Amino acid sequence: MTRYALYPGCLMPTEQYGYEVSLKSTLPLLGVELVELQGFSCCGEPLKSINQMLTLTLSARNLAICEKEELDILVPCPMCHLALSESKSILDGDAKMKERINSKLSGEGLEYRGISRIFHIIDLIHDVIGLDAVREKVEKPLSGLNFATHYGCHLIRPSSLGRPVDPENPQKMENILEALGAKADDYAEKLDCCGAPLLPVHPETSLTKAGQKLRSIQEQEFSGMALSCPWCHKMYDSRQKKAGETVGARLSVPVFYLTQLMGLAFGVDGEKLGLDLNLSPLEKVLDREKEVTS
Amino acid sequence: MRRIGVFVCHCGINIASKVDVEDVTDFSSRLEGVVVSKDYKYMCSDPGAKLIKDSISEYGLDGVVIASCSPRMHEHTFRGVAEDGGINPYNVEITNIREQCSWAHEDRGEATKKAKSLVRAAVAKALLLEPLEKSRTPVTPEALVIGGGIAGMQAALDIADDGFKVHLVEKEPTIGGRMAQLDKTFPTLDCSSCILTPKMMETKNHPNIDLMTYSRVISVEGSVGNYRVKVLKKARYVDVDKCTGCGDCTTACRIAGHVPDPFNMNMGKRAAAYIPFPQAIPLKATLDPDHCLMLRFGKCGDGPLCVKACEAGAIDFDQKDQEIEINVGTIVVATGYDVLDAGKLFEYGYTRSPDVITTLELERLISSSGPTKGEVVLPSSNEKPRSVTFILCAGSRDETQCTWCCRIGCMSALKHVYLLREKLPCETEINICYTDIRSFGKGYEEFYRKIRGVGVSFFRGRPSEVRVSRKNITIDVFDTTTNKLFEIGTEMVVLVPALVPRADSEEFSRILGLSRSGDGFLLEAHPKLRPMDTFVNGIFVAGCCQGPKDISDTVSQASGAASRAAGILTKDELENDPLIAWVDPEVCVGCGVCVEVCAYSARKINEVTGIAEVDDALCAGCGACIAACPSNACTHRNYTKQQLVRMIDEVV
Repeated sequence: MTRYALYPGCLMPTEQYGYEVSLKSTLPLLGVELVELQGFSCCGEPLKSINQMLTLTLSARNLAICEKEELDILVPCPMCHLALSESKSILDGDAKMKERINSKLSGEGLEYRGISRIFHIIDLIHDVIGLDAVREKVEKPLSGLNFATHYGCHLIRPSSLGRPVDPENPQKMENILEALGAKADDYAEKLDCCGAPLLPVHPETSLTKAGQKLRSIQEQEFSGMALSCPWCHKMYDSRQKKAGETVGARLSVPVFYLTQLMGLAFGVDGEKLGLDLNLSPLEKVLDREKEVTS
Repeated sequence: MRRIGVFVCHCGINIASKVDVEDVTDFSSRLEGVVVSKDYKYMCSDPGAKLIKDSISEYGLDGVVIASCSPRMHEHTFRGVAEDGGINPYNVEITNIREQCSWAHEDRGEATKKAKSLVRAAVAKALLLEPLEKSRTPVTPEALVIGGGIAGMQAALDIADDGFKVHLVEKEPTIGGRMAQLDKTFPTLDCSSCILTPKMMETKNHPNIDLMTYSRVISVEGSVGNYRVKVLKKARYVDVDKCTGCGDCTTACRIAGHVPDPFNMNMGKRAAAYIPFPQAIPLKATLDPDHCLMLRFGKCGDGPLCVKACEAGAIDFDQKDQEIEINVGTIVVATGYDVLDAGKLFEYGYTRSPDVITTLELERLISSSGPTKGEVVLPSSNEKPRSVTFILCAGSRDETQCTWCCRIGCMSALKHVYLLREKLPCETEINICYTDIRSFGKGYEEFYRKIRGVGVSFFRGRPSEVRVSRKNITIDVFDTTTNKLFEIGTEMVVLVPALVPRADSEEFSRILGLSRSGDGFLLEAHPKLRPMDTFVNGIFVAGCCQGPKDISDTVSQASGAASRAAGILTKDELENDPLIAWVDPEVCVGCGVCVEVCAYSARKINEVTGIAEVDDALCAGCGACIAACPSNACTHRNYTKQQLVRMIDEVV
């Protein structure tokens, strides 16, 4: 078992339980031990435009907690992943800033050293665990299903920072889905924004963005959507009905976390994947699953 | 005892604003060996030169120290002034109190102190300078031009017209280069082949031009005046003396219509036996060793069809590559450019849709000798496109790909709009997404205005994405003139890709010893004042190998390079700079270490005496041998250890 500290972020433990449940029931099957550490705080990303020092301090503090245990960190939320990665890159390249931040952390007996590596589930599965190991675990291949993937902006940009996937042509989720037996065709709207960042200030535009993409996925007859960002999931899954109303379309696109689909392929019970917590209509996929297996 | 004169330059206020020039002059007048010390506003001006000359005769000077700008600027000027004044030009020492003193420092007092210290060291060295004489080497009155595109042909023709023999080496089976692939040229809409083929014919027929096609330069040794060049003449597998260029083999070939045709940007298919295009020169067939079945497998069905078809009996599968050695006095490099692989721009969809093409591909579609005989059709369906959208600066002016401007993209797209308006029905929609239209040449702006009137929509913005769906292609572009996001539906996309250095330019620059700029193109000696020269004496650059440019600029630069090259060939002998290495025959033990370290092949061990020698023409005075010599037998003339130690003593 390889051990990773699981950094939950704010959204997963407060409303996107399905993500947490599904990754906790699938990653151990691939030889990953998830360690829960005490004392994590906000990643700092929401404060970046107001107080960058605070963002740096918060990120460094979270990383320092992992470093104390000498663990690499798994960050399933792409936004937290970006905050931690960006702070790490700043601190590793600026000794003075590191000293400044560490003087703030020393009160808690913490020190940021820069030894923990940061992973998202996609690069962890694709690059570290490997697709062969994934293929080995598949019991019920997702054959006959074709998923539209959605990566989310924080996972692909800024490319200068070095993100888990390619900024223009991300393919790792596609490769993982293929290892699970499904198809994942490219589609023209693949890199389009989910609209979440605009929701507090411009809800109609935000929902239009989400609705347009879902409508297009529905028109192209994908079996469903696969993603790995709790923010995007919130837009496409929880707000699907509202998004449909905004663009004047009757939407019924099954939306899954990648880890949920992985669980289905590994033969994990639906309840352990938090499928009942998804708000989009999953029946189209699940019924088909049943048909295939029965 | 030496009689030294010190001359301190103000350089307007460049030096005088930070260095107290009068104080430095006064200080230097009291130094040992100095008999006169003067300052002047511009020492490099005529009155400044006169001041130095007059002082030489008035005070009977035998050494001169000049405190001014970098010796890179005016060393040549001041050596000439000293020579005119009657003293050996190598008894001049220049100390740099501008770039390395007044420009670099803020504090006037400190800068003045440093200037004094520099002058003091220079005077100490001047007391020890040796008068030197230039040696001479004869010039081989022939030139090599590498590359047979429009730049290379122009350079070769100009040098040949001046009466010198020119060897023109081209790596393809025909001369003509990129220009041969073009249909029309901007802004005059001249037919490209119509203006190119006469040049090609002239090149072929010129009595002074030795044309070597399908050949590569593989090594260059020697120096200006005397380069020894090895050329690899690749086997064509066709006897060019027998081949009549009839083309029967190209139609008979068993795999005719199956080999991607690079001349048509791989849009059409040719045979393994091929003549690149109908006006090729020389008009001889070539067998493509990567595809010909006989050359790959030694077997072609029940016998090679080209051999049967060739009445002249010119096919020769046993032909071998040949290495040819030539001696030339000067070299013009005109190796051209490559086009950025549009597949690297994933967001522009080149790899996702066959209907996303590049300018050169469109050029071949428009050309009547192209794969569609001049019909502009969608590669996916062979139907005429109902809408065409150009994306300018694809990879150009882009920090993630090429930071530079390609200098031809805007105009070539405007030209294509004009040609498409002729070729396609009038209701065809044409869009251009541009960064800004750069129509800088003569007649270019007028051409741009004309195109604005033929019905084309301009969007000022770089598309963020070309979306290829199962139904159609759409382009997202934010137009910065209207501040609106547009979604353009289109059937054909034409990318105008960046121009990049030739793929082999790194290896090639190493063969010639040339430097490259950060972008990978060959580096000129000075971007403004020596744009055709390189840092290697006697090697010149022309055309796009030095940086992207249009045909007019290419031809101008080619003629310029040719005239620089011919300038060397007109001389019987060249003078060698005497500031080079020298071996003390009394001390040298002939160990040969200097021969190994010399990058210019200027060192050898004399077989009779057993000690090292320096070839005056080849030595660049780099000093590598001096550092390497274990017995201290080697010195750099007028940079001897004694001189340098004295300078250091004065400064510290």
